[in-house]
Amino acid sequence: MEQVKITVALIIAVLLQWTLRNVAEPFAYIDFPLIIVVYAALQRNAIRAIFFGTFAGIAVDALSGGLLGSNGFSKTLIAYIVSELARRVYMDNLLLRIPVIAGACLLDDLIYFGMHRLLGQNPVGDVMVTIAYSLIGTTIAGTIIYLILDFTLAERTRSRKRDLLSTRRQTRRRNPIRLSK
Amino acid sequence: MVERSQKEVWKLTPWLVLLLLLGNFVLMAFDARDITSGQRIVRVWSQTVADFIQSPVTTVSSLLWNYFGSISNLRSAQSDNDVLKQRIQELEVELKGKEDLTSENERLRGLLDLKEKSKYKVLTARIIGRDPSVWFDSSIINRGTLDGVKLNMPVVTNGGLLGRVTAVSPLTAQFDLITRDKSGLGAVVGEISNSDVLGVVVGTSDDDIVEMRYVPGTANVEPGQIVYTTGQDGIYPAGLKVGEIVQVDRGSATTPHKILIRPSSAVNSMQEVGVLLYEPPPKIEFDQKLPNAVKPEKKR
Repeated sequence: MEQVKITVALIIAVLLQWTLRNVAEPFAYIDFPLIIVVYAALQRNAIRAIFFGTFAGIAVDALSGGLLGSNGFSKTLIAYIVSELARRVYMDNLLLRIPVIAGACLLDDLIYFGMHRLLGQNPVGDVMVTIAYSLIGTTIAGTIIYLILDFTLAERTRSRKRDLLSTRRQTRRRNPIRLSK
Repeated sequence: MVERSQKEVWKLTPWLVLLLLLGNFVLMAFDARDITSGQRIVRVWSQTVADFIQSPVTTVSSLLWNYFGSISNLRSAQSDNDVLKQRIQELEVELKGKEDLTSENERLRGLLDLKEKSKYKVLTARIIGRDPSVWFDSSIINRGTLDGVKLNMPVVTNGGLLGRVTAVSPLTAQFDLITRDKSGLGAVVGEISNSDVLGVVVGTSDDDIVEMRYVPGTANVEPGQIVYTTGQDGIYPAGLKVGEIVQVDRGSATTPHKILIRPSSAVNSMQEVGVLLYEPPPKIEFDQKLPNAVKPEKKR
């Protein structure tokens, strides 16, 4: 069920990316598919995350003036790196996810720009400004979206918290020091 | 269904990543090879699917935008009303003079037997989507091959030239702006009939400046002059306004001027644009009968 929910979230992210820039220009600086791809990668399911990265990237490229496959390339790589990182380091904490999404956004932009320059394309606008705005927009939006996703999607987390709480109560009752008093 | 252990998955993942990265790279290389004139099937179908989402979103958002816009406009309505009343009185006087001129013009035209003929048909279209990537500035309009739009047709606004169609699906089309670095068009400073200052306008990747190249350093060019298309590039018709010269780095007898132009049109969200249903004249085939056209075979 959780898999279906994340897939739906990814589809919604792609649709938002397709449409929101026409509503207001600043939305262009938020990379919605990247946020969901990183979230999927943090769930330690590497295969699902890299497929998400490829699918979301190509879907964005299809309506973009850039090279077809460039977003697919960068997001696949990001998904792999983040899932490998999540396998080695415990990152179920929201505060730890903020630098992860920021780093992923920075790396994604650099790979995207680099691939275009490598193949003789020159993206529009000032690179540093675009990267800076994109970093700020995606990190803020990512933090909010992760909060929402954690509350709505993560049944596993909720049940884990429940278990954790009940264990604590048991421990307190069995505490020998307390019993002795 | 085969259940894979976590260890097997970890072993499999790098190979899968490599395969997907390679696939994406091949796709990129293929796209980069012919980005100026190529039509990719993935883009065509994605645009068709996206149209079903983009069109309703654009309609709803523009309705909301207009509604809130009209509320905010009410504040300045009273002062605008006074100004407009005064303007109406001035225009009524002006109109009377224009009516006399129009009737005179019609009479003279009738005498000369001239027929009013529009040069190119203009198809009005609405921008339903902007480039989802922040790095590029292409836009998607709600007209496609079913409306007669074809690849490379010019896109204009009332200000002048905007760009050209780079991908077409049955219901939508995508266009690139003239500011993109890969774009180029033949242009002339001033009216084509009065000027011989010809050059090529190319994008600079700066979103509000294009550059005119190959203008001889001896030509008289000043900031403020208007640049028009020449029609010699085989894509755009002659006489479309490109923009206004904002800066001239003077050349010499041996070096050309470097001219920077501010395009007369810019893209805003949910804007109406026009597609010129213009097809350039067919290119003249290379005449093989000319004596110097075919190289003589070397005698052994």
